[in-house]
Amino acid sequence: MNNRALRIAHLYPELLNLYGDSGNILVLRRRTEWRNMECDVREVHVGDRPSFADVDIAFIGGGSDREQRIVCDYLLETQQELAAFVEDGGVLLAVCGGYQLLGHSYLMGDEEVRGLSLIDLYTDRGSPRLIGNIVVESHIAQQPIVGYENHGGRTHLGSGVEPLGRVLSGYGNDGFSGREGCLYHNVVGTYIHGPLLPKNPGVADWLIARALERRYGSSELAPLDDAEELAANRTMVNRMLG
Amino acid sequence: MGVRSFTATSAGRVARWALHDVLHRSGSQLPGRIALSIDPQAIAHLRGKVTCGSIVVCGTNGKTTTTNLIAAALEEAGHVVLCNRDGANMEAGVAAALLPRRKADWAVVEADELSCIHILPKLRPTYLVLLNLFRDQLDRAGEIDHVQNTLVASLANSPETTLVVCGDDPLSVGVAERVLELGTRVLTFGVGEDLGLPPDRVPEARFCLRCGQELQYAYRTYAQLGSFRCPSCDFARPPLDFAARNVRTNREGVSFELVCRLGSGFVDDAGTEASREVPPANKSAVVAARVDIPSASRNVDANSFHEGGDANGMHVDSEGRSDSVERIARDVPAEPCAIVNGHVHASFGGAYMAYNLLAASAAMLLANVELSCLQRALDGYDPHNGRLQHFNVMDREVVLNLAKNPTGLNQNIAMLMEDERPKAVYVIINDDYNDGRDISWLWDVDFERLALTGAVRRVMAGGHRANDLQVRLKYAGIAASIEQDVADAIACVVDLPKEHPLYVLTNYSALAPAKSELERLERERSLSVKNAPIEE
Repeated sequence: MNNRALRIAHLYPELLNLYGDSGNILVLRRRTEWRNMECDVREVHVGDRPSFADVDIAFIGGGSDREQRIVCDYLLETQQELAAFVEDGGVLLAVCGGYQLLGHSYLMGDEEVRGLSLIDLYTDRGSPRLIGNIVVESHIAQQPIVGYENHGGRTHLGSGVEPLGRVLSGYGNDGFSGREGCLYHNVVGTYIHGPLLPKNPGVADWLIARALERRYGSSELAPLDDAEELAANRTMVNRMLG
Repeated sequence: MGVRSFTATSAGRVARWALHDVLHRSGSQLPGRIALSIDPQAIAHLRGKVTCGSIVVCGTNGKTTTTNLIAAALEEAGHVVLCNRDGANMEAGVAAALLPRRKADWAVVEADELSCIHILPKLRPTYLVLLNLFRDQLDRAGEIDHVQNTLVASLANSPETTLVVCGDDPLSVGVAERVLELGTRVLTFGVGEDLGLPPDRVPEARFCLRCGQELQYAYRTYAQLGSFRCPSCDFARPPLDFAARNVRTNREGVSFELVCRLGSGFVDDAGTEASREVPPANKSAVVAARVDIPSASRNVDANSFHEGGDANGMHVDSEGRSDSVERIARDVPAEPCAIVNGHVHASFGGAYMAYNLLAASAAMLLANVELSCLQRALDGYDPHNGRLQHFNVMDREVVLNLAKNPTGLNQNIAMLMEDERPKAVYVIINDDYNDGRDISWLWDVDFERLALTGAVRRVMAGGHRANDLQVRLKYAGIAASIEQDVADAIACVVDLPKEHPLYVLTNYSALAPAKSELERLERERSLSVKNAPIEE
């Protein structure tokens, strides 16, 4: 069991890095390594022709409008590869702007920008921006998922797409449906931006377990001492839910 | 002064007197709020009492220190100065700063970037010093594009203001290029050489603002600052009107030679000295820098470029444009109109402080004040505002500093790593409104550097988001305890030798409580605080 290894593809870190996104990669790496597995992180840069054939987990972060637009043009060139990866059960985490890119389209100003169409969802805009701490209940993690959202977009899921979870505090996809993020095959999309995984070790381990399952047929994970992570999670849950 | 503005000013003054002299509160904003509520144009009505001119300082990091230094140096030169020294940098704070006295020579004002849109059109300052732009408080300030747009609009509504901009910062230069097209006069400052410092993270501005290509650097000083150039278009670090040379940064502080060539193409494309040599007579001389740009003269003629003064080129009357940014865009060579060498040194700070001092030096020359006044201000600089403030608690040196965003914290880490003594570090992170509620940026900070050497003996986390910080440190390979306050942190390092200093780094709202706690602890000679181990 100990010679297992995972390969992570970090897509366009130089552009999609709006707020601490790299924390997610660091958490995936450490939680893999702490279990005596190797973790190889490969950064995909603008101009690269990425292959997802040997990738276990792909990560797309969030960027400013300008940067997100640049990325979308590059990502569209790899749309078929990415779609095949997702349909094959490849693990993909997309946060904030990256989440919006997963769908058919999103709005930049008044302009409709084509997305990757990996998942049946689309994003339009609303006012005001939805900003603040958020708590979400999801079946992929034992503890509530906590984080921070800051988005003008309103994301609408197609009928066959499950949300990541139910909003306990905060806004989520559109501010009124109580749904947050999306869950499709092994894809997690969420408006919780930046460092989603540090305070949500359950989500991190779900992603790692799904990747191990796909590559090795076994999702068994050695337990870790998560005292600090869970304390941080609990502190925010208590603050938001009282 | 109309009845309304007289009433506003009087009411504000009464409030200031009541707060300051009766209640002994600092009164940094309330008098301004009162004045503004009676007269929304209070700043415009108050600016008339400033006779020489006004300098507004903005930028993400370094505002308070730079503002205070400029004000102190002008006072050293004998000027009467109005200043919002405590960093109340929104419109009310600025109005409050302008209330005292009937006449003043200079107003030196720190301004929040987004508040410039309210401040500049009313104050119409002589100079706007733009230090830098970093990502900071996305939830409140929005993306950097929005901050840039606001600054451009502010300058568009204050056409007589000269922008004094950090030429090493692509994001600030982006603002300069846009206002040049509006006719704003622009001067640049920057570091004219490679400091050879280890590069830190560059979380922003890696791409050309015009064409999106990744910027290339001849060298970087910190974050995205340095000698940058776009490989595919002509967006590049502009020639510098005020440049620092022979820069030294270490634990003892910062020093550099200031080289000023107003309106010159000082640095060539590769970041090396241009073919025009500094005349030997001026090369090493520390001179009384006299660069007159009459602030009274408002009729700036876009095409005039007067060179005047004495034969050595020391005294220059440059009433016209000397905007090097525009010149590089047009690729029109111009003769240097001033060459001034001067030496500046401070016993604190790192690379980021070199820029603050450089900006202050530029302001000195522009205000026609000798650099020695700035040096005297620096020598006596004891801010008592929590910025790099030193304390002695139970014979241990405690250094307090503000670190409110990733670049600020990275620069603080770089600075304390230059202190070769073994040390302890206590980081306090709050998420109050003034801090920004979103603390995601902790993951953009190079805390890993604290674990690199054995020099950091203990790391502690505090503040409302101590748990988040503790997790961040855990993933940086650092086991940190959570300490409730500075007293606890000091008690926690009581087993470390007294020679090991404690660095306390806090974000905005945690700074004042930490400062007053340290002042209290310093007063109490012996620390009989809670949790301290009982010695047998």
